[in-house]
Amino acid sequence: MKNKIKIFRAMHNLTQDHLAQAIGVNRQTILAIEKEKYIPSLDLAFRISRYFGVNIEEIFIFDEKTPVLVRS
Amino acid sequence: MKKNTFYLVTGCIALALLLIFWYSVELHTPLLIEIAFIIGIGLVYLAQRRVTGIINDERDVKIGEQAMMRTMQVFWVVFCAFSIGAVMQILYVPTFPRPPPGSPPADLLGPRMIGYIQLGLLCLMIFLYVGFRIYYARKYGDFETDEE
Repeated sequence: MKNKIKIFRAMHNLTQDHLAQAIGVNRQTILAIEKEKYIPSLDLAFRISRYFGVNIEEIFIFDEKTPVLVRS
Repeated sequence: MKKNTFYLVTGCIALALLLIFWYSVELHTPLLIEIAFIIGIGLVYLAQRRVTGIINDERDVKIGEQAMMRTMQVFWVVFCAFSIGAVMQILYVPTFPRPPPGSPPADLLGPRMIGYIQLGLLCLMIFLYVGFRIYYARKYGDFETDEE
């Protein structure tokens, strides 16, 4: 799952820490999402998109090649 | 104190308790291990309060869940395999009054030693959990470097 959080952060002149505090997660979680190491839950994805005032699909890009069941 | 440090401290306390347990058994003083256990758990709670990391968000929860699931998947197999062997050892009744020459002694692992090993395995489970936790923390980007 690709995302444009870094771009939106830059547009709003926000640090990872500010965004993390605003949506109630750790800064490391924002970093992990930006680096595509962690796919956020639907709830968190909605919170991020609501914070930037855009639709969820404007920030998160669904990759159809990603398998539904990913072995942990 | 970081979270992983806390888990290591907890593991060390558990091992210390294991040694005290052994010592109190040797001295036949159960009060020693009982007091040590209460102090040990108190120290764990004290260390827990000093953990910095503040927010436990969904990624932390997922890391914890995955690490515990893997720990249990490995641990229960090892623990059960040992316990089954231990039970067989306890239930062993020699067919012949005198064992044939060259056969191993029947009391290779006494009930006391079995208990010690099981307790040791329980303590090792904590270290296994820490290992898995570090692995999943790395997988979910805990050690990623920041560009800011």
